[in-house]
Amino acid sequence: MIVMKEGNKRIPKWNRKVFAVAGGLTDYRKWFPEYKLEELVMLAFRQMLEQNDLKMDPLEVKGLINYAVYGHFADHFQDQLLCSAKVHDYLGLDPLYNVGIKTGGATGGSAVLTGAMAVASGYADVVLVAGWERMDEVDTRTGNTYISFAACKDYETRLARMYSAYYAPMAKRFMETYNLSEETRAKVAVKNHLYACSSPYAQQPGRYTVEEVLNSRIAAWPLRFLECCAMSVGAASMLLCDEKTAWRLTDRPCELYIAGGSHTLRVADRRHQAIPLLPHETEEMYRDLLEPGSRYPGFESFLASRMAAWFCYRMAGIENPLEDLDLVELHDAFTISDIQTYGDIGLRPYGQEPDYIESGDAYYINPNTGKPGKCPSNLSGGLIGTMHAVGATGIFQGVECLWQVQQKYDKFHGDPKIWEFWGKTKPDDWQSLQIPDRKGCQAAWVSHAGVGSHVTLGILRKAWQ
Amino acid sequence: MKETREEARFIGRPAKVVQMEPAMVVEWPRTFIHRHTYGKLTPFFKGLQEGRLLATRCKNPKCPENRLWLPARADCPDCLQPMAWEEIPQPVIGTIYTYTRVAYGGMGLEISEPYWQIDVELEGVCTIFKGWLKYGEPKIGMKVRAQFQDVPTNTILNIYWVPHDG
Ligand SMILES: [Zn+2]
Repeated sequence: MIVMKEGNKRIPKWNRKVFAVAGGLTDYRKWFPEYKLEELVMLAFRQMLEQNDLKMDPLEVKGLINYAVYGHFADHFQDQLLCSAKVHDYLGLDPLYNVGIKTGGATGGSAVLTGAMAVASGYADVVLVAGWERMDEVDTRTGNTYISFAACKDYETRLARMYSAYYAPMAKRFMETYNLSEETRAKVAVKNHLYACSSPYAQQPGRYTVEEVLNSRIAAWPLRFLECCAMSVGAASMLLCDEKTAWRLTDRPCELYIAGGSHTLRVADRRHQAIPLLPHETEEMYRDLLEPGSRYPGFESFLASRMAAWFCYRMAGIENPLEDLDLVELHDAFTISDIQTYGDIGLRPYGQEPDYIESGDAYYINPNTGKPGKCPSNLSGGLIGTMHAVGATGIFQGVECLWQVQQKYDKFHGDPKIWEFWGKTKPDDWQSLQIPDRKGCQAAWVSHAGVGSHVTLGILRKAWQ
Repeated sequence: MKETREEARFIGRPAKVVQMEPAMVVEWPRTFIHRHTYGKLTPFFKGLQEGRLLATRCKNPKCPENRLWLPARADCPDCLQPMAWEEIPQPVIGTIYTYTRVAYGGMGLEISEPYWQIDVELEGVCTIFKGWLKYGEPKIGMKVRAQFQDVPTNTILNIYWVPHDG
């Protein structure tokens, strides 16, 4: 049993406010030989400086940067140590200091958290957060083995060399414990592949049916290929700054809160413990959830995600995420991990996760009512539909949240020139997925590693009237 | 008079060109050997060679965790003291907590696909031990028995499970 003492439970607090003002993405592709890695990062960096309506010349904005944080997951994918030094020089940011961040799938979120710490502490006024991954130097099976090096090499890696085989047992357990159907899982895949159809950056857009998902090839039973994230090449960048600079740069800054949690690398090592409660939860809610001898978080839930939400909601004053948040971008590496997270971050009480999909709350338009979903998830297309260039992912999700809150979804997804730039044609039936504007509009994103070893939860809140 | 200057020469192999358009792509083969230490887990992996399953237990009377750890770890995360090794008596019988059928593993997988990967709960163990089922079809709650490779693999794959009927 993990016992948190008083000091362990301290809620993070910025010494001064932190804002996000701009973002940049690239296209995400399985095979992307047209560009070297640093060239892709340059494209995301340029989009961030040039296309975000910043009130200064791009080079003047670059001249404000004090510090850079870079996310990249795996040296062996890149086949290049200290890739961040190469990128930093390529972006023309020498001799400023930079650091590389590596926390597996949560690398992007951790990079944003690290950048925010620099602004909050006063080390920097303006921080570039950028991330990337190049997963096409090896074939898919080798790529899966590389990723599986993030499992425990002594006890786990040799038992599959494939991450879907570490998530599939969680899926089986969750299905049995909380009555999750294959159809509900498939609906997550259908939704996210569909939303990717509106994104010019998406690698795996598709209009699938539940049947097509369930009939697709098995990776590790019960998970099908169409339920698994993309393996991508691409980059993403985000610009963070203090309050004064934020208003100098944009009329639409978003205030940023972000916090993280950790749990065992091996699912095996999860011991039973009491459920840490979110602000809107009570012990009474979970009195009958766990039968004698059962475990929390078991294989059903992620303690790291729960703790990231536990800290960040209190930091940002979120009382009930389903009511307070206008959008979530979740780390849908697999349909099952997406569903598991609904309980961890309180979109539903534990045990009722499937209802977030079945109720229609998770959709842009609720299929049951034809009205907007209460708190839509992964309008970006997520990792299943759009990308998982691992070191960039948690930044990509944050950028998508930023643009949504800034009411710039159409600008960055609907402009035919962006589609053309990446050699695509904007579909005739392109659909806007812009969330409605409101005072205090806010979006949250989850960046998640391993089978739940590191998780960050970030919140971006509209700061203008 | 004959030239005797020393000349450095290219002694590698030309990189294979995969494509020239739209960008030049070459192949760089990579084969490396890592020497990996099992460190203080050596008794566990030595035990597997000998057909024995060893776990660790914290002997600190003040420690809140007095159950066995499997996966074994040498030091207790709760009180930070070194733990002691204990053999789990034979036959080692556990209960399937959950499982998957691996249809598509990564490069270099050493188990023939498809196969059942299982997570096993053991009495008195605070953790859940991952392994593979040699034959049969798993169910949650099913009893399985540990067996060991005759020719040691010297890795975690040395232990596997079979259905335990009664
Ligand atoms: Zn102890």
